[in-house]
Amino acid sequence: MKTKSIKNIFVEGAIAPQKIANSIAQHATQKNIGAHSIFLGQVRADEKEGGRVQAIEYTTYKEMALQQMHDIREELFKKYELTCMHVYHSLGVVPAGKISLFVFVSSTHRKASIAACEELVEAIKFQLPIWGKEILNNQNTVWKENH
Amino acid sequence: MEILFFGNLIDITRQPKELIEGVADTATLKQLLEKKYQPLQTAKYFIAVNGKMVQENTILNQGDTVALMPPFSGG
Repeated sequence: MKTKSIKNIFVEGAIAPQKIANSIAQHATQKNIGAHSIFLGQVRADEKEGGRVQAIEYTTYKEMALQQMHDIREELFKKYELTCMHVYHSLGVVPAGKISLFVFVSSTHRKASIAACEELVEAIKFQLPIWGKEILNNQNTVWKENH
Repeated sequence: MEILFFGNLIDITRQPKELIEGVADTATLKQLLEKKYQPLQTAKYFIAVNGKMVQENTILNQGDTVALMPPFSGG
């Protein structure tokens, strides 16, 4: 039986670039790592009918999202030779141009981290109960869709 | 039994949750909710019981949490 505890992945508002720099710095002591793969999701100012996206407001079914994330994490650790994996996703309002998703996967050699990172981002988009509501500059809202 | 609504479904139900008792299974619950909130009939959503997705009709028990969730759009 795995006894790893369920980790929180959610942060309120945008993810600060400093957090990303700090995360990289914190791995300097782990000298078995040879590769980091980082994915950053940024809010786009898409043109929609009736306005431009100013921000996205994220909500989640937290209990379920964290359990799903836990399962995804365990699967990827089984499938790839990974050293560590960190996921941060915004909740609440994130303005266009700011970071709303930060995925950080590390391994000894590059192939594992690159493949796992891509798989992880897809899993986050399609398996985690998170919803984005796009807020337009005319204050109308459009529910985001993932493709 | 607690029923949770998420995403655009809250625009339909106008509330994020409600308490309903005495519903035997998810199919009956669906019927009941779609009668109460008619736009749900054409909305796309999945059902989770106690945080687990269910595809088929599922028996409901007292104390269960049922979530109605539109397609996910995180990231």
